[in-house]
Amino acid sequence: MSLSRSPSPHAGGGWSSPGLTPGSGSSTPVRGYSPNTLAPNSNTKGNSTWAAAKAKSNEVRGYPSFATRNSGFFSRQKKKISNQLPSFNGHQSPHGYVDKDVYGRERWRSSAGGARGTLAILLRRSRVRILLGVFLACLAYICLWGPLVHLYRRSPLGGGRKFVIILGSNVEGGVMELKGAREWAIERNSIHNKQEYATHWGYEIEVVNMLAKKRYSHEWRESWEKGDVIRQTMRKYPHAEWFWWLDLNTWIMEREASLQGEIFNSLDEMVYRDINDNNPLNITHPLPEFYLDELGRALEGDGRTDSLQMLLTQDCSGFNLGSFFLRRSLWTDRLLDAWWDPVMYEQMHMDWVHKEQDAFKYIYQSQPWIRSSVGFLPQRSINAFPVGACGDQNDPAVHYQEDEHDLVVNMAGCTFGRDCWAEIYNFREIANYNNRSVWEKVHDAISSAFEGLFGSGDSAGE
Amino acid sequence: MQFALPPRKSPHPLPSARSTRLPYHRRKQLKTVAVAAIAIVTILYLLSYFTSSNSTSAVASSASTSGVVIVTVLDRKVLSESFIKKIVTNREDYAKRHGYTNFFASTSDYEDAIGDSPRSWATLPAVRHALAQNPSSKYFFHLSAHALIMNPTKSLKSHLLDRSKLESLMMKDVPVVPPDSIIKTFSHLKEKDVDLIVTRDGEDLSPGSFILKNGDFARYFLDLWFDPLFRSYGFAKAETHGLDHIIQWHPTVLARTALVPQRVLNAYSKDSPGAGADGTYKDGDLVLRFPGCEAKGGDCDELDPYYMLWQRKAKNG
Repeated sequence: MSLSRSPSPHAGGGWSSPGLTPGSGSSTPVRGYSPNTLAPNSNTKGNSTWAAAKAKSNEVRGYPSFATRNSGFFSRQKKKISNQLPSFNGHQSPHGYVDKDVYGRERWRSSAGGARGTLAILLRRSRVRILLGVFLACLAYICLWGPLVHLYRRSPLGGGRKFVIILGSNVEGGVMELKGAREWAIERNSIHNKQEYATHWGYEIEVVNMLAKKRYSHEWRESWEKGDVIRQTMRKYPHAEWFWWLDLNTWIMEREASLQGEIFNSLDEMVYRDINDNNPLNITHPLPEFYLDELGRALEGDGRTDSLQMLLTQDCSGFNLGSFFLRRSLWTDRLLDAWWDPVMYEQMHMDWVHKEQDAFKYIYQSQPWIRSSVGFLPQRSINAFPVGACGDQNDPAVHYQEDEHDLVVNMAGCTFGRDCWAEIYNFREIANYNNRSVWEKVHDAISSAFEGLFGSGDSAGE
Repeated sequence: MQFALPPRKSPHPLPSARSTRLPYHRRKQLKTVAVAAIAIVTILYLLSYFTSSNSTSAVASSASTSGVVIVTVLDRKVLSESFIKKIVTNREDYAKRHGYTNFFASTSDYEDAIGDSPRSWATLPAVRHALAQNPSSKYFFHLSAHALIMNPTKSLKSHLLDRSKLESLMMKDVPVVPPDSIIKTFSHLKEKDVDLIVTRDGEDLSPGSFILKNGDFARYFLDLWFDPLFRSYGFAKAETHGLDHIIQWHPTVLARTALVPQRVLNAYSKDSPGAGADGTYKDGDLVLRFPGCEAKGGDCDELDPYYMLWQRKAKNG
């Protein structure tokens, strides 16, 4: 029974509490009532008690019997408190109507004390809900967004697993030269750079050890391990489609640029098959031989994007295989097979200074079946050079352009009289700057502004 | 205290129970969202499982049309007109019987391409030329000019190209180049993967008589074989050794090559040197070759009695 309940009035007026005299307010009323025991008293004294109480109530508004009792905080406040507290007894709704189907709905409304209270409570609750929702959304974003994006990029829709980056490391390691701190630094940094990129886009990465092996040493097939390694990688990733060979002395500059977005979604616009567009080697194209079929004599192969099986770039001196793509296909199997042949190698190994690159250049010219499936990309798309390779003047066709955000820089030829580590370090810094996160950009902007202010104040002081 | 009955539940639900009502909708929604999310993720996984294996597009390698082209390279510089006439008659009769096409090439046409190399290399650009001229034909049968088709009624299809026939004739896991090359034909080779049918005699593979299927492989095979560095290498037997070389060193060629017994396509006359075991002509064989004449170049007297024999057969057949 609620404490706020006042003693029940009797039918004839007054109440059954015994011994209530006008001055006796300090005594605690008997809680509950037991008419059996107290009835005789109340019957005899009922009228006088009632009259006295009535008189008292004229002086004090409210409940006369308690007028003198509000000495404690709780006694004083309990009415207010209890008014605000919900009551769970089946009060009648203010509209005098109870929806039986949704039993209990009105209990909130009725006890909340009018529309304002209802709104307040709803507001309070919805605010909590909104806050909770926002919190959960943030949590989900933090915990799930990354994995979801990653999952998407690895899925067939994202297509990340169609690409494998093959990075040749440990070039001639352990046999031809001793590795110094700089070589180790190049290797460590370069591998990390590609791993980061591959992880970001869901690509596969295969770091291959190009340790000089006896079976590749001179008079045998030095430097043709590239082909073997690509074949092994193709076996290892049976679901991948494109295999991207990268030399160790390369740097991926744009982590946020995917291969699909940069190259493969617009392959037919980017690729040129007619080598006359850029022909530093002066290769005869198309082939003039009358006995070849139309495909063999075609200027642009069959013109279909899906027949492209190899994508490479040309630098100032012709084909460059520091960064190129191969697509899994019968054609590629045959190319990797035809690339090295002992009879050719025996005759040419002294002339082929760039080994497998020169051999490819040779078979591209001598065997017509290769041409129709080879496509050339603009050099800066996957193989930009630093100034110093292919000329010391900045050539926008060849050299890295920072404001155009080229994807890859290849420090081609840096082992010949240039400083590989210095170049890689330089491009790593540029790449780090380009790949700053939003927060870092904001931070940089603020700190530079602050610095500007500070600097101007400093100069003013001087 | 004991109760006879469990205490009656209050008709008014407990205050804490009120929270179940509104979230009931939400729970339903959440359930839907969760089911949808799980379904999407599952579909993604399934897709990745099934489509990724199909993502690598196999290049259509063969023309699907039928038809056989017989390629004969005639060196008019060393062959007399009467000899050429015999060979042409022999081929044309066979082609007419079975609806095949003849492609007669002249070595002199390919002199520029061959350069200083032996003239026998002309076979390769000639077959390439035949491919270019007959892009819709399926098979290209190269037969040396010093050879006769001795069994005019036997079609290539029933004799060799028929699926089960070829499957039964293919020699698996045998040394490619006799007698004891360490490179052996693939034991798991299937008929449908075969693009080149070739025989070997006692010493080498025989480019004097082979069948090549039209397609990407044919272009690859002929271009590789005809590479200038092979021609300039000075193989003692020119393109014959070139063929031995590429088949042994390039598994992508070997994987498409069916080796068949010599007499199926390449029976040698009885006086010729270098025939393999059971490689000498017997009555009823499809092809009779005269490698002795081939080595000498020029006309072939050895051929004449067999030509008469063939004429009688052709009349009766």
